[in-house]
Amino acid sequence: MIHKILIANRGEIAVRIIRACRELGIQSVAVYSEADKDALHAQLADEAVCIGPAASKDSYLNMENIISATINTGAEAIHPGFGFLSENQKFAKLCEECNITFIGPSSEIIRKMGNKTEARNTMIEAGVTVIPGWNQDVESVEEGKEIAAKLGYPVIVKAALGGGGKGMRVAMNEEEFENAYLTARKEAGAAFGDDSVYMEHFIEHPRHVEVQILADSYGNVVHLGERDCSIQRNHQKFIEEAPCKAISEELRKRMGEEAVKAAKAVGYENAGTIEFLLENEKDFYFMEMNTRIQVEHPVTEWITGVDLIKEQIKIASGEKLDFTQEEVKLEGHSIECRINAENPEKNFRPSPGKIENLYLPGGKGIRMDTAIYSGYEIPPYYDSMIAKLIVHGTTREEALRKMRSALGEVIIEGIDTNVDYLYEMISDMAEQEILGGES
Amino acid sequence: MKLGARFKKEDGRLEKAARETQSAEVPEGLFKKCNMCKAPVYVEEVKENLYICPKCHGYFRMSAYKRIASVVEPGTFERWDEGLKTSNPLNYKGYEDKITALQEKTGLDEAVVTGTGLIGANKVVLAVCDGRFMMASMGHVVGEKITRAVERATEEKLPVIIFACSGGARMQEGIVSLMQMAKTSAALKRHSDAGNLYISVLTDPTTGGVTASFAMLGDIILAEPNALIGFAGPRVIEQTIGQKLPKGFQRAEFLLDHGFVDAIVKREEMHDTLKSILDMHRVDAIDLEEQTVRCEVKDTGMSAWDKVLISRKKDRPVGMDYIDNCFTDFIEFHGDRYFSDDHCIVGGIAYFKGMPVTVIAQCKGKTTKENVFRNFGMPSPDGYRKALRLMKQAEKFNRPVICFVDTPGAFCGLEAEERGQGEAIARNLYEMSGLKVPVFSLIIGEGGSGGALAMAVSDEVWMLENSVYSILSPEGYASILWKDSSLAKDAARVMKMTAKDLYEMKVVDGIIKEPEKFNDDSFYKVATQVKIAIEGFLYRQGKKSKEELLEARYERFRKF
Repeated sequence: MIHKILIANRGEIAVRIIRACRELGIQSVAVYSEADKDALHAQLADEAVCIGPAASKDSYLNMENIISATINTGAEAIHPGFGFLSENQKFAKLCEECNITFIGPSSEIIRKMGNKTEARNTMIEAGVTVIPGWNQDVESVEEGKEIAAKLGYPVIVKAALGGGGKGMRVAMNEEEFENAYLTARKEAGAAFGDDSVYMEHFIEHPRHVEVQILADSYGNVVHLGERDCSIQRNHQKFIEEAPCKAISEELRKRMGEEAVKAAKAVGYENAGTIEFLLENEKDFYFMEMNTRIQVEHPVTEWITGVDLIKEQIKIASGEKLDFTQEEVKLEGHSIECRINAENPEKNFRPSPGKIENLYLPGGKGIRMDTAIYSGYEIPPYYDSMIAKLIVHGTTREEALRKMRSALGEVIIEGIDTNVDYLYEMISDMAEQEILGGES
Repeated sequence: MKLGARFKKEDGRLEKAARETQSAEVPEGLFKKCNMCKAPVYVEEVKENLYICPKCHGYFRMSAYKRIASVVEPGTFERWDEGLKTSNPLNYKGYEDKITALQEKTGLDEAVVTGTGLIGANKVVLAVCDGRFMMASMGHVVGEKITRAVERATEEKLPVIIFACSGGARMQEGIVSLMQMAKTSAALKRHSDAGNLYISVLTDPTTGGVTASFAMLGDIILAEPNALIGFAGPRVIEQTIGQKLPKGFQRAEFLLDHGFVDAIVKREEMHDTLKSILDMHRVDAIDLEEQTVRCEVKDTGMSAWDKVLISRKKDRPVGMDYIDNCFTDFIEFHGDRYFSDDHCIVGGIAYFKGMPVTVIAQCKGKTTKENVFRNFGMPSPDGYRKALRLMKQAEKFNRPVICFVDTPGAFCGLEAEERGQGEAIARNLYEMSGLKVPVFSLIIGEGGSGGALAMAVSDEVWMLENSVYSILSPEGYASILWKDSSLAKDAARVMKMTAKDLYEMKVVDGIIKEPEKFNDDSFYKVATQVKIAIEGFLYRQGKKSKEELLEARYERFRKF
């Protein structure tokens, strides 16, 4: 087993990883920016190293400084968390070259899956179902219109290197196409430095369903059920749940098998997520593969009883998976809400500042993953997510009731948060669940 | 609140049976230090990023083949003249050994790679210096390869692009090295005389005999940001004059300011810029349609003085507005190649309805800051020389010239006189009268005397309805003739300086109607009229032979 891990991240995920290390008897090294010297992760870890100024590009994205912190502290592995360098193939490659274990898949797989066009091609080759689409750069409006006619409107134009909703535009018909195409291209260039775009048939009311997989270095791959991430704002998830209520046992099995097939096709290792778009009760399409641990991983942990972070570390240490697909049993229902420091009434504008008063709920089936504490000052430089509230109940109704109850207890004063907004959303969802309506 | 000390840390008490500790280490060559910002950078990342530092965006030097790959379409480059043997005319001790060692180390046969390839759809001849080989100094082989490449380009009527990078002449070859300067320059002269395009790209460092020969002879000279470019090296100059040199001395930006570089082009934009320039030099004149603009001007009851005031109004559209709205893909070229880059005259190449043209505009600013930068529209000799340089370039490549005139007058100042303001204006009148391509001038605001005429010895001169054109400002006129500048109002009336007066006197050939007030909408309409006028002009002039064109232009001014 690895002795010492450097966590190249901040916030609640860094704290989550430090805790997993502690349970495994592994020493943890936190890295922090100048703006984060009071951050919880920096204080909780066994050691902490400052890696640069506040701006992410100078600190949490500063590969050279993170590598030298790893070497200087004698850490053997780096856990990248999510965001920042977690899906940066250059960083993974750098770790490989410096004999540092990158807790995640190889740089080659990150590269392959990071390029959506290449990922899609790989999946088509492996026989995984994909959305009817055009997997090459669409070079002109005219070419795009021809392709769109074949795929059938509506179509979506997407950045080849995209994510987070940037460089994505839907055209409902031919009249809208030109504008959608040009905007997507421009955004792609601005956000990712590469204005390549691809296109596909757009499913109007899809469900975003993702399947968690774990793969060890011996070729064993298991899937751990799905998560429903359909509730999004501006293409950013904020409520996730597992299992997905729209999925039958039979469909779950098919999706799981498809996910395992996809992972095997690329020789995947470590934890990963296959995102599918669900069109109806039986049709689903591979969308993309995320080669990292995800924000919403706790809901899977709760219904399967598997600690995903610990599994990641064990796999990276060269251990075999110690359970089989048959042993994976899904129990109950779990929901996660992302609590953000933002003001829903002011177009979700970020709201950094000092936490004056804090009360967080607890109790049976309530889990709070966070890095905030009373008196903590949230810096303005990073993502606005400050906590994840996760609940578990035997049924979806119970989970929703529990989430509503827990959200009702949350007190975070000094900054604006989306807690009340979430409370309303969850209340509506609970109501619909009880009344049997569609959500 | 400090929590750190209160948390219990991992003490290893529960650590499982240990496996061997893996120790991380950085392999040799994985990182290198950036020369500019001194930060360690990941070599792989630098390579992927055109050898640009990901931290400070400073430029690492690029080898010849990497450079070629960054500008030429993949798989199209073909090498020429490989394997010429380096001579040792001075029998310099150890020279051959040094060459052999470098050949082995770099895989190059000498310090320059020549050949041909495609940039976009343009076949070009390329010569690219490689600084790893004796700092790309120019010995016999370098001179020979460049000369042969240029000669072949002349034969095949191809454009030449040379990426210069050099310490200068190769000392080990003595006088033979000096002769390469003459040889390469002479080959380029023939290439140019045959009407071919040469683009020189200066990279860090371009010095000595290379600067003083082929590097500075481009029809268009581009440079990479911050590249060191000079004849004598900065260290030599410092030692000679015993002074510390200013920051930025001999950098690309310094040369741009001093008029020797047309444009500074970032490495990531080099391919596209070269492609655009080459495209513009490949496209032939296209057929334009006959157009007429009705030129009757109704009397609006405005006095000449009212028009003087309108022509000077701050919110009037300026030269840049016309460049932006009447043309596409404008590429600005800077500098007079003698002394400076005058910001008051903006020039370059662009498409007019798909036809390559040279555009030169006297530009006022729109804000005080901009006006200071543009010297309130008063050109210096450097500006007129830049304009003339671009006109000569247009003549070489058979492009029509479109001028926009808007100046209170040529800059009246000490420096302007020192550098020969009068000579510069005279030279333009002289050369423009014989320029073998159509020249169109439009006065868009103030047409102030010789300062305006230096861009208006044209086949047709047009005016905006409320612009003015005169021998002198009415204030000056009143002051000279009547010893009282406050009589400017009366002067304006007698001077016949309005578009209507001048049209009747046949000083101008056409008038573009103006709106009562300029805004985006009404300016769009004016720009449309200007485009129609230009199109009509190009149609009419395109029908003439060069002799007819020059004869008509001569007569146009002869008649006064």
